[in-house]
Amino acid sequence: MIEVLFFAELREKIDSGKIPMDAAGKSVKELKEMLVAKYELKTLDNVMIAVNEEYTTESTILADDDVVAFIPPVSGG
Amino acid sequence: MDINRYSRQILFEQINKSGQQRLSESTVLIVGIGALGTVISNQLVRAGVGKVRIVDRDVVEISNLQRQILFDEEDAEKSLPKAIAAKRKLERVNSMVEIEAIIGNASRDNIDELTEGVDVVLDGTDNFATRYLLNDICFKKNIPYSYGGVVSSRGMTAFFVPKQTPCLRCLSKEGSDGNQTCDTVGVISPVVDMVSSLQVTETLKYLTNRGEYLRNTLRSLDIWFNQQYDIKLNKPDLNCPTCQLNQYPALQKKAKEEEIVLCGRNTVQIHLLNHVSLEQLESKFSGIQSLKRTPFFLKVTIDEQISLTIFTDGRVLVQGTEDQVYARTVYDRYIGS
Ligand SMILES: [Zn+2]
Repeated sequence: MIEVLFFAELREKIDSGKIPMDAAGKSVKELKEMLVAKYELKTLDNVMIAVNEEYTTESTILADDDVVAFIPPVSGG
Repeated sequence: MDINRYSRQILFEQINKSGQQRLSESTVLIVGIGALGTVISNQLVRAGVGKVRIVDRDVVEISNLQRQILFDEEDAEKSLPKAIAAKRKLERVNSMVEIEAIIGNASRDNIDELTEGVDVVLDGTDNFATRYLLNDICFKKNIPYSYGGVVSSRGMTAFFVPKQTPCLRCLSKEGSDGNQTCDTVGVISPVVDMVSSLQVTETLKYLTNRGEYLRNTLRSLDIWFNQQYDIKLNKPDLNCPTCQLNQYPALQKKAKEEEIVLCGRNTVQIHLLNHVSLEQLESKFSGIQSLKRTPFFLKVTIDEQISLTIFTDGRVLVQGTEDQVYARTVYDRYIGS
């Protein structure tokens, strides 16, 4: 199992800041597709993604106990 | 250098007299004097940075006062340009700091000049297009870029140092805009102060030669729902067009220029001319009842819904609509093209 963290409007949509997912062995891209389908999201393409506090790309393969964070960039000021 | 004025800061041994001296010899550029920019400039001017250049395109409105700490009711009543109102306040705070105020947009055409002689660029903007512009010019010219963004109860900040950290483009791809903005979901003042304070803290570390203590993360926080997350700034995206491929996309001329942009709630900005004479326009509009001219702009109230604010640099804010086509129609009708 891995843990997925959601921030900002994603947290609101999913109604949780943190969920467990059965996604060990899958790529970040596959995880994104699973989440988009499960929560009927429009897209996760414009969101920053980190695995264990490191910036990551879609090809990264997830391992047990990884923590993946999805963070929409903040544009106001 | 006025030792007494800075005594508490000099007593902080990480800064001490030598750090204070470095600050007094430094120049910073702050782009956008809104929520983040007013807090940033207030702190840096009080801290005794030698020269502070500020750029902003807006005028003070009453709805700014909830979080934009340098402005007051009189500034809003007079619709003063933010750059001018901020300069007046900052000079009263610390007359030893040189404040250079510029009314206008930071754009591809002037960003090279704006960043000339600058040691750090601080981000007080409200859109990602300008942030990529700042990111790209900073990495091209080897200037650290202190990014900050706020909306709602959330904020995000990082201090990007060319040749040492990845850049904003490594972490956030273009097209990330279209997210929530302060004009759609609001913003609370405490998160503004927190994010801008972090932007300034990293800047002080850098300017006082304490780079070893830089945080080196992109920090996200939500102070209402109690979330905080750091992404380490340790490895660049090897395909990054800015910090890896040195292409700096925001500095390249695009085929079709975006001259018409949605600019906050109920306002469209149109920028087609490089200069206008407010005097000439005023006489052109003399048949219209409601005209207000200041040294900086001319405000023309067309009807109950629509008004135009025309700046000397050619920018026109069409207020009262979000329809860009309609705004252009109004522009053509009254300004001509
Ligand atoms: Zn980069």
